[in-house]
Amino acid sequence: MSAQQVGVARIDRDELRRFISEKYREVATNPELGFHFHTGRPLALMLGYPTELIDRLPTANVASFAGTGNPFLFGDLHPGERVIDVGCGAGLDTLIAAQQVGSSGQVVGVDMTPEMREKTQEGARLMGLANVEVRAGFAEALPVADGFADVIISNGVVNLCPDKRAVFGEMLRVLKPGGRIQIGDILVHKEVPQDAKDDIALWSG
Amino acid sequence: MLLEQTGFTDVVMSNEIDVFSGSKHESDAKDFDTRGVTVYARKPA
Repeated sequence: MSAQQVGVARIDRDELRRFISEKYREVATNPELGFHFHTGRPLALMLGYPTELIDRLPTANVASFAGTGNPFLFGDLHPGERVIDVGCGAGLDTLIAAQQVGSSGQVVGVDMTPEMREKTQEGARLMGLANVEVRAGFAEALPVADGFADVIISNGVVNLCPDKRAVFGEMLRVLKPGGRIQIGDILVHKEVPQDAKDDIALWSG
Repeated sequence: MLLEQTGFTDVVMSNEIDVFSGSKHESDAKDFDTRGVTVYARKPA
């Protein structure tokens, strides 16, 4: 497939997804390699996750954390709520959310990278969290029914999607009326040149 | 803001954090003044 206009960039979206997925496969399987962005426990602490919260999670899930914010800064989730973690990655936020919503709630983690999905699923198994389900999918086409969720969480994912309007539209679709998003991401305060937006190598840092 | 354009309301943003400070990506992040942030918004009832 050739490059097409996708949101802000003229790129081949499938190629971009492959590139990003390969990067995050490495984060999942070899978190100790070191990346262009921070990862793991030091990053989680920088973002304000309480130490006691991190200490309750399996080490492997924490090690591959690669968020840019903290969805729980705006408050804990409530027992019984249905949650979608868009781009759940290694599952740090999914596992925290699953503990907060409890056995009457449900958390669906969605990620395009198999190694990340496996890590989240394994973390849920180790913690005995039967309310976690992990699905393959993309932020622009969530594998979830209309009006499913009370809350959407996400962390460092929307910036990897060139068509942000499509992502937010999809979030609206799967939220219940009155539902909320609590998402960590990045803000870029200076204009990024179009040639940089069109360069797939720059999308995942 | 795009969130409001797509239909969200009650948008609130957290304080920004220099999440790339000390990382290999730091110089690129500084070039574009890139910061981490957390956002809250609601779908109208």
